[in-house]
Amino acid sequence: MAKAFKNGSKGITGTLHSAERKLIRELFSDLIEMLEERARLHQLPEDIDPLYALTGMRPESMDLPPIADPALARLLPDASDDAVAAAEHRRLTEADSIAQKVGRLREAQLLLETDRLVLDKDAATRFAQALNDVRLVLAERLQIRSEEDSARVAEVLDASEVETPEEYMSLVYNLISWVLDTLMGALMDAES
Amino acid sequence: MVAMTAMPDVLSEFETLVSQDKPWRLVVWNDPVNLMSYVSYVFRSYFGFSPEKAEKLMLQVHHDGFCTVRSGSREAIESDVQAMHGFGLNATMTQGA
Repeated sequence: MAKAFKNGSKGITGTLHSAERKLIRELFSDLIEMLEERARLHQLPEDIDPLYALTGMRPESMDLPPIADPALARLLPDASDDAVAAAEHRRLTEADSIAQKVGRLREAQLLLETDRLVLDKDAATRFAQALNDVRLVLAERLQIRSEEDSARVAEVLDASEVETPEEYMSLVYNLISWVLDTLMGALMDAES
Repeated sequence: MVAMTAMPDVLSEFETLVSQDKPWRLVVWNDPVNLMSYVSYVFRSYFGFSPEKAEKLMLQVHHDGFCTVRSGSREAIESDVQAMHGFGLNATMTQGA
């Protein structure tokens, strides 16, 4: 079983065991794949104005298509209720946001190659962001839309009683939530 | 509250000009997924708020469903929204009150 993250003289430390690490790394991979599939839509046509090709900026006439998968939409939400403003923000920032998320997920994957994690504050914050992105996607798959849904999922804690794939996913969600909560406690402690 | 004794005499063109300069607001919305500890830490570390202020704003999001975390120029708020999305928080930008 995972051990809670703590802040101490060596930095922020925590332990995740082999089966847990394997599972979470697979989830990181799934997210990287989802994000990279979206990133492929960002590629500009080859015959584009060289200025755009050089800067990687998208011309105003080339808004990105809406995101169909609600879990991916949760990772890359609209920045405004105003559709025009949201599309503009997406056109200007989405590629960058994807690159940052993928970077943090890859870093987190590497960190999970060993049982014991020793992190400084910045690395711990990036690890927390990666874990939280996994939670957002699992929550969407588990259809957590209200506090009641959240309470329903939180009840699944005993691995020996898990029977359905949804219960298994709930168990994983609860494990990652617990790990993240202890990590936030350690970060708060490091901050003060 | 201060009571107004007379309507200010303002030209309509001037009003239009002012409304364009209204500051943008960063609004963070409640959701049933993000942990309270996580949201509070994001407010502390990203905005540099005191633990008390971060906690207060986090609870406001939790209880009221949303909270204006800060306001500023369009550019500043745009970059805040992007950062909040990086943290996985539900955030939007909006102009005026």
